Amino acid sequence: MATIGHNNLNAKLVLLGDMGAGKSSVVLRFVKGQFLEFQESTIGAAFFSQTLAVNDATVKFEIWDTAGQERYHSLAPMYYRGAAAAIIVYDITTQESFSRAKKWVQELQKQGNPNMVMALAGNKADLEEKRVVLAEEARTYAEENGLFFMETSAKTAKNVNEIFYEIAKKLPRAQAPQNPAGMVLVDRQGDAARASSCCS
Amino acid sequence: MIETELHDLSDDADYAASQQQGSQSITRSDSGRRSEPEGAEVVYMKDNVSIHPTQYMSERISGRLKLIKQGDSLFLTWIPYKGQNTNTRLSERGDSDRNNLYTIRPLPLTDVRSIRRHTPPLGWQYIIVVLASGLAFPPLYFYNGGVKEFLTTIKQHVSLVRSADDANVFIVNDFQDPLQKTLSSLELPGVVSVAAQSTNASLVASSSQVNQGRSDVSSYDSNTGSQSLRRQKNKSNDPTKDLSIQVLEKFSLVTKFARETTSQLFGENSGDPFLSNEWKRPSHSQSLPDLQSQPSTNDLEEVPCEVPVPADPMEFEKLALVWGKPRQPPMTKEEWITFLDSEGRVVDSNDLRKRIFYGGVVHELRKEVWPFLLGCYDYNSTYAEREYLRSVRKQDYEIIKLQWQSISPEQAKRFTKFRERKGLIEKDVVRTDRAFSFYDGDDNPNVNVLHDILLTYSFYNFDLGYCQGMSDFLSPLLFVMEDEFEAFWCFAALLERVGPNFNRDQSGMHAQLFALSKLVELSDSPLHNYFKQQDCLNYFFCFRWILIQFKREMRYEETMRLWEVLWTHYPSEHLHLYVCVAILKRYRNKIIGEQMDFDTLLKFINELSGQIDLDSIVRDAEALCICAGETGEACIPPGTPPSLPIENGLVSSQLEDEVL
Repeated sequence: MATIGHNNLNAKLVLLGDMGAGKSSVVLRFVKGQFLEFQESTIGAAFFSQTLAVNDATVKFEIWDTAGQERYHSLAPMYYRGAAAAIIVYDITTQESFSRAKKWVQELQKQGNPNMVMALAGNKADLEEKRVVLAEEARTYAEENGLFFMETSAKTAKNVNEIFYEIAKKLPRAQAPQNPAGMVLVDRQGDAARASSCCS
Repeated sequence: MIETELHDLSDDADYAASQQQGSQSITRSDSGRRSEPEGAEVVYMKDNVSIHPTQYMSERISGRLKLIKQGDSLFLTWIPYKGQNTNTRLSERGDSDRNNLYTIRPLPLTDVRSIRRHTPPLGWQYIIVVLASGLAFPPLYFYNGGVKEFLTTIKQHVSLVRSADDANVFIVNDFQDPLQKTLSSLELPGVVSVAAQSTNASLVASSSQVNQGRSDVSSYDSNTGSQSLRRQKNKSNDPTKDLSIQVLEKFSLVTKFARETTSQLFGENSGDPFLSNEWKRPSHSQSLPDLQSQPSTNDLEEVPCEVPVPADPMEFEKLALVWGKPRQPPMTKEEWITFLDSEGRVVDSNDLRKRIFYGGVVHELRKEVWPFLLGCYDYNSTYAEREYLRSVRKQDYEIIKLQWQSISPEQAKRFTKFRERKGLIEKDVVRTDRAFSFYDGDDNPNVNVLHDILLTYSFYNFDLGYCQGMSDFLSPLLFVMEDEFEAFWCFAALLERVGPNFNRDQSGMHAQLFALSKLVELSDSPLHNYFKQQDCLNYFFCFRWILIQFKREMRYEETMRLWEVLWTHYPSEHLHLYVCVAILKRYRNKIIGEQMDFDTLLKFINELSGQIDLDSIVRDAEALCICAGETGEACIPPGTPPSLPIENGLVSSQLEDEVL
């Protein structure tokens, strides 16, 4: 959950998505500015934190990076439980990873925190020549499901900071009059209700 | 002054029992008597009371402890069993000599100054008998219990008074001013010089083990330490001298810790335990005046006891006995040959496994030795049998491999499961140990071999398939075995043990994490309570450690060393869980002191990668495992991975003889 102290917000964020989609690479780009061509697989989970300044406040992200394989699916609730935000990552070069991303969205809509800010990240955007998932297709899906969408590249750093920055801006801020967070909150609830009714 | 020692003991169960059962008769007898009393009555007898002759917990001499009454006098004897093998590779003296040395011939209780009882939270109760002369016998471990009855029986026959300073010290024949005795024993220069000298030597062995937990030595321990120290005197012509000095030396160590700890805690103690908790070994010049200048019994009461972190309950054990055996250099080719008979059979597999446990093997030998450890080859097989088996396995491997190689693109289109598995494996092999020279660079053929073995395995064990983490297991196996088919069969054998780690329902992992939580509860209840309070009892922060047996936590060479040590299944097939406990205990002060929550803990533990000192952790793990003994094994539910290989019946029976 996002917790607030003065102008500082702590927000738990979880990364979900198919294995090899680039979850760890996105985090490492954001947290350490690094990119490894052959980033090793994540066993169990990894935890990172990074702080962003948004307007006059700071948001400290506590980031859970999870193992992607379906086999480890049963561990996921432990990591997304209580998360204020999620980035669902897929690889634009495989249709399977996009399908998997949709499943994650469904699961979060059912099981996750109803106020969760969800972002859909089409990663490996630098591999345009291998693209399988069209940006338009993903954008449409995202809009229908109340997510915001960006194509990212951990390799080139494209949109990596931006996606975290967008999440930071969208995080609900209770009792923050200068911020239209109430709107966001209401929107999110509406989205969640709509999504869960169609999925269940 | 006597009244300070004549405390109300009614709160003490042992004492209360003794009060009920016996009358307080104070008896004195002729202390010159040393021969076996005639017409004596055995009033107490206990089997399996043992000493550890060399400070290594795995070396043990067991015997029978008796209290014998003759007339008005009570005598204590401890006679080691005859012909028992103390089994140590390290020992040089004959067993009979050693046993004689430690025998306690009828000792009149009038010669005993005090008996110190120690009840560790884990392991066995022991007592230390301190003579009026100031000498102490080595700790007597009651492996079958019976300390309470022992004290009760003594209480029935001679004066036994609990010390005012330490509830676990029982003073026998207390007729002297305690302060006087304290001062006189402290001023003996002989004690100090010998102790200081030998302390220094032993620290070399133990300093790396104690440094992390150093600040845990509570005022409670320092009291007992000084207590015993004060009661020691030196006597040069006694065969037990060496041992008493060892005891003395350990106690003095505790005292010293307490003082250094205090200054550390309230002085420079801050951030990084790697730096600030580095133990400064005392030099002669420091320790000598230090010991002598300790002015009075009150000195230690000044030690503040607001230690922010609850003490590690096993810290005292660490000091009282050297913690695990020293690691040895890896087994060489020359040594390996001595384990084989002329036809290539391993003559004594227990001995071999023990040797490998204590040092691993040199890298060139791994290719030859690992298949035995993994159960690919029977220890009883000959060179010829193994050669034959190799050729059969090569063929078998090719046959299984063909099963997927023969799948045409057309068939693959209609075979989703195959495509998925192949996809998973392709994604993982290209990111497995690519920084390691054997797998680095573009188009490295070894990466393809990894792929082929994993895909073949997913056909060989279609039910289990491929799971993330498997490529971590395979990578060192291929590096060592070189041949594709041999790496495959080693991998298959390894997965017979660790395969349940990859169960879809996580049952294998849950079983191990559960056992781990039980072991921590057993060996460090404050740490357990801390995890409980932080809602961390699922131990998921140790998930990676267990899933791939520390593969991501160490350098490549260290991983191979740890694995071969674990695969010996000596002294436990679950030693990896004790390795987890050892690491957690090493960082317990930091974890609790910094009030780490689950997230922080996971981050901290993931970041320990590359910082774990393999040898000292394995040593800790061995000692923890031995200390935990059957109680520890009982924490691990049957069927917890790695599952039992065939030879393990031998391991446990052998351990009963050897280690405990």
